[in-house]
Amino acid sequence: MIRITGGRVYDPANGINGEVRDLCMDGGSFVESVEGGRTIDATGMIVFPGGVDVHTHVAGGAINFARAMTPEDHRRTQAFIRTKTRRSGLGGMAPTTFATGYLYAGMGWTTVNEAAVPVLSARHTHEELADIPIVDKTTLTLMANNEIMLDQLENGEYERAKQVVAWYIWAAKSYGIKAVNPGGVAAWKWGKDAKQLTSPIEGYSKLTPGTIVTQLAQICEDLGLPHPIHLHCNNLGAPGNISTTIDTLKHLEGRRAHIAHCQYHAYGGDDWDTMCSETAQLADYFNAHPGITTDAGAVLFGDTVTITADGPWQHLLYKLTGRKWGNLDVENETSCGIVPYTYRPSNLVNAVQWASGLELLLLIQDPWQVFLSTDHPNGGCFWRYPEIIKLLMCADFRQECLKQLPDKIKGKIRLAEIDREYTLYEIATSMSAGPARALGMPKKGNLGIGSDADVVIYEEDEDVERMFGHPRYVLKGGEVVIEDGEIRETPEGREFLIKPACDPGIDDFMRPLFEECYTMSFENYPVELERIEHAEFADCLGSTRS
Amino acid sequence: MPVSFHLKRQPEVPLEAEVLSPDRICQLSNEEIRSLTVYHGKRQLPLGEFFDVEGERSNELEIHGNLAKVRWIGRAMSQGSVTVHGGVGMHLGAYMSGGQIEIHGDASDWIGAEMKNGLIRVHGNAGGQIGAAYRGARAGMKNGTIIVDGSAGLEVGMRMRRGTIVLGGPARDFTGLQMLGGTIVLLAGAEIRTGAWMKRGTIISLKPLTMMPTFTPATDYSPTFVNLYSKHLSLFGVQLPYAAADGRYRRYAGDSSVPGKGEILVWQPNV
Amino acid sequence: MGGKVSCTLGEVKQRADFIVYWGGNPAECHPRHFTKYTLMQKSKFLPRGRKDRTMVLVDIRETKSAKASDIFLQVRPGKDFELITILRALIKDQNVSDEAIADTGLTREVLDDLVQRMKSAKFGCMFFGMGLSMTRGKHMNSAALLTLAAEMNAFTKFVAMPMRGHGNVTGADVMMRWQTGYPFGITFNRGYPRYNPGEFSTVDVLVRGDCDAAFIIGADPGGTMPQPAIDHLKRIPTIVLDPHVTHTSKLARVHITTAPQGIAAPGTAYRMDEVPLPLKPPLKSPYPTDEYVVRRINEAIMAKPFWLPDGSQPQMLTAQV
Repeated sequence: MIRITGGRVYDPANGINGEVRDLCMDGGSFVESVEGGRTIDATGMIVFPGGVDVHTHVAGGAINFARAMTPEDHRRTQAFIRTKTRRSGLGGMAPTTFATGYLYAGMGWTTVNEAAVPVLSARHTHEELADIPIVDKTTLTLMANNEIMLDQLENGEYERAKQVVAWYIWAAKSYGIKAVNPGGVAAWKWGKDAKQLTSPIEGYSKLTPGTIVTQLAQICEDLGLPHPIHLHCNNLGAPGNISTTIDTLKHLEGRRAHIAHCQYHAYGGDDWDTMCSETAQLADYFNAHPGITTDAGAVLFGDTVTITADGPWQHLLYKLTGRKWGNLDVENETSCGIVPYTYRPSNLVNAVQWASGLELLLLIQDPWQVFLSTDHPNGGCFWRYPEIIKLLMCADFRQECLKQLPDKIKGKIRLAEIDREYTLYEIATSMSAGPARALGMPKKGNLGIGSDADVVIYEEDEDVERMFGHPRYVLKGGEVVIEDGEIRETPEGREFLIKPACDPGIDDFMRPLFEECYTMSFENYPVELERIEHAEFADCLGSTRS
Repeated sequence: MPVSFHLKRQPEVPLEAEVLSPDRICQLSNEEIRSLTVYHGKRQLPLGEFFDVEGERSNELEIHGNLAKVRWIGRAMSQGSVTVHGGVGMHLGAYMSGGQIEIHGDASDWIGAEMKNGLIRVHGNAGGQIGAAYRGARAGMKNGTIIVDGSAGLEVGMRMRRGTIVLGGPARDFTGLQMLGGTIVLLAGAEIRTGAWMKRGTIISLKPLTMMPTFTPATDYSPTFVNLYSKHLSLFGVQLPYAAADGRYRRYAGDSSVPGKGEILVWQPNV
Repeated sequence: MGGKVSCTLGEVKQRADFIVYWGGNPAECHPRHFTKYTLMQKSKFLPRGRKDRTMVLVDIRETKSAKASDIFLQVRPGKDFELITILRALIKDQNVSDEAIADTGLTREVLDDLVQRMKSAKFGCMFFGMGLSMTRGKHMNSAALLTLAAEMNAFTKFVAMPMRGHGNVTGADVMMRWQTGYPFGITFNRGYPRYNPGEFSTVDVLVRGDCDAAFIIGADPGGTMPQPAIDHLKRIPTIVLDPHVTHTSKLARVHITTAPQGIAAPGTAYRMDEVPLPLKPPLKSPYPTDEYVVRRINEAIMAKPFWLPDGSQPQMLTAQV
């Protein structure tokens, strides 16, 4: 039992904007009142709901590949020392599992969404997630290049495709679906890509990326997934890709969707020399379509490692940088590529990327639509979020940072003309309440009675980056986990998953197809529910749990 | 007056003693020096547990004893000197940016790894990965000089970017592996795969080498820079032949598998 | 800098029309590899199965696997690294002399043909065994083949992966990576993971006599490691968890018999391509599982006072040693 008194509370889910209020919690949830227990005096402090990361890569085959590839970064990064109750770990570009939990909680984030899980290695992802302490987790299954599913769409078997998707979600013990470069990764299996939404995909006669986008979004709707299609558009990172992105959005028209890391999809120009920001065009679209959400995928200057299911893009990046390249194609399902990368302000392309991420956060008017993310670790590491918050809240600081960009950047970006500054209320929306709502998690990012008691308390500080980087208290499930910069407790987090309704005959349909293209036995493929530590079911929309 | 250290207790497991560096010692009293922490396996113990210490507040260190299990001596030092009478363990002078280290005895692997500047002189034999990049890093030593009178192990100068390594005795395989720049001088040659995958940089050998298949012989000549180099190295008592009357250098270019623009010069004495 | 370009075995089964085994003898060491994954399988992309695939074997001697291959290249012992480096040059149209090629035991015609086949393949896959990774050059031989595969992607799809030995090596590797950031060769002596193969890898630690106790699980170093390493294991307290009597258990002070993984103990094994597979034991064992024993040991250690005083260490270091 804990009571937090006297703090200025920012709770956008309940429209509370900086009012001084008391919060009471018991048994992991907020309650009306408590008798006894600890009282935290938050007078003069700022109280937020715990952060929710809508798009990050913290567990599974891809990030684990990145860890293996970057020992040079592990050696120079922060190290957590083991104690009798706490495990050791390393931070940096691709933090180890235990450190991931400490670092997220250390800056007040209490829920994370692992955005790319191949079903074939979902068992591995869940094993890693079980080793990430403190935070609660959800996972999204990679679907837009799954060949069994694509074959159904190619043959016009929409209903069957829907059943296949439902089967896979449950097999992976997942929370929703992620679509990466629809059709493009399947083409990558032949060393090709899919850049045009309306051209048939390599290896298919009719199926186009556009069809996959539309139908998969519809499948998410029809299955009533709490989180809509989570879409990584085609043509990521390429100059001039804004047309692909807008075209994709048009294919989604009328359906709910979440567009991942939109910064990487908002470029004009014809080549690397002429590449420029087209964020205004994209922001206008979002401003006119309140039903779709996005996360920024903002870029911060410095070293990172890029990991994505977008194999062809990573091969290009390897050729451009001459640095290490890791690739892992996953049978029937997806691919992943890994390339360490350094974003430099002196590099014109990187400068455009840096500005674009911030522009989208500032030009999309409604913070319920655009969320804080770096597509960790692609644009920058998640533990650098406080730097972005400062850039959003301080226009002067932004202008200062713009000075380090090369002169040639003029005319390629619009950041200098934007003077909007985020308020604390808007930050709380973009880092917590908004992403929680988009994920369909009503008890997250919410300080109302009955919600999960995940709270972060900041000591007011003129230096916004310091304030958000070093919360005074972090509470997870009503337990103080961080206090005065020290880790106090490391409870295990929960994993949220769904069981979409599924035709019982689908097993018989899947088995022969499965046996044709997979190399493990059909019975061994689905992750057993017992393998999920602290599993918690979420309901699908418009249906009762089956 | 240098601070002198005498090993009094032989460590049973590796002793990590990066505190044995002029930067750490130079401001400290004798007592403070003795209470510096060293890692004996996982145990944290005061330096005084292993060493008798005489003197204080100096950036000159003199260490005596068989230090083969003592690692990280002179780590990241930027000034002063370390002289060791006896052998030393791994990572000697790793990351150093200045000052000098002299070892009257044998050294182990990773000496001068990723060093930025300074001088390391080993009078005995050394191990592998001299001046190298640690695993996964893009570049090894960035500058400075490492001179080993005796032999050396594998991967000498791996991914080094600048600086000089001189080996008096033979080196083992992969000398100059993936070299990015700088110079390696082999007075007694090397085993196989010298210069493998090198991008740039120069390897000079006074003895014939087994060449990688991806190196192409170009010309026999007397490059003037060897002349300059010889003068520089004579400060350390190293003699490089360069007079045309004595012989010429055969220049091999490679490694074409990269493709790289490195060179290996092999001395061809006049008979 | 090269890298590692790989895929799961199902991709090989479905797509690989060009397969190279280098320094391995799958016919005898991985007998199901041909039939389950690489050569014999038919797929929608390779409907004629074996007929649609080309297999190349590179080895120092003509093993039983050579019979299964379309092309057998006998490389001179100790010349693998040179041969791969030549191939890296040839795919980029760099010049290599005839003598240099002859020195590897092969001819220009053979290599030109190989390069041409590699480039015209739709999906190439290279597997390498201990004949490559454990002979002179060791990790650099593996690095060479991985780099060649990565560079081949400038022309066509190519992947490479190692054939792993017995035991769940890959699983240990995967799990160590997520918990520590490093696959092997790790020390925890400073309270956080540090990595340096050659310094902290088991065989090197034992040969140098750097450790004063050994805890061995899922391996038999007494049968595979060099004599100085074995001698050190005899000197120090060595504890072995193993279902069987092994070379190591015979020299150990303590041998705890455990249930065999996969047969009587459940868990997850990671296949050579890092695909996690559930182990569903068909039998019961009177012996405890490895996991149970390790947990009990850990509990006993936890009951002892921590070896460092509370608060003597910072929670986090920003600069490591």
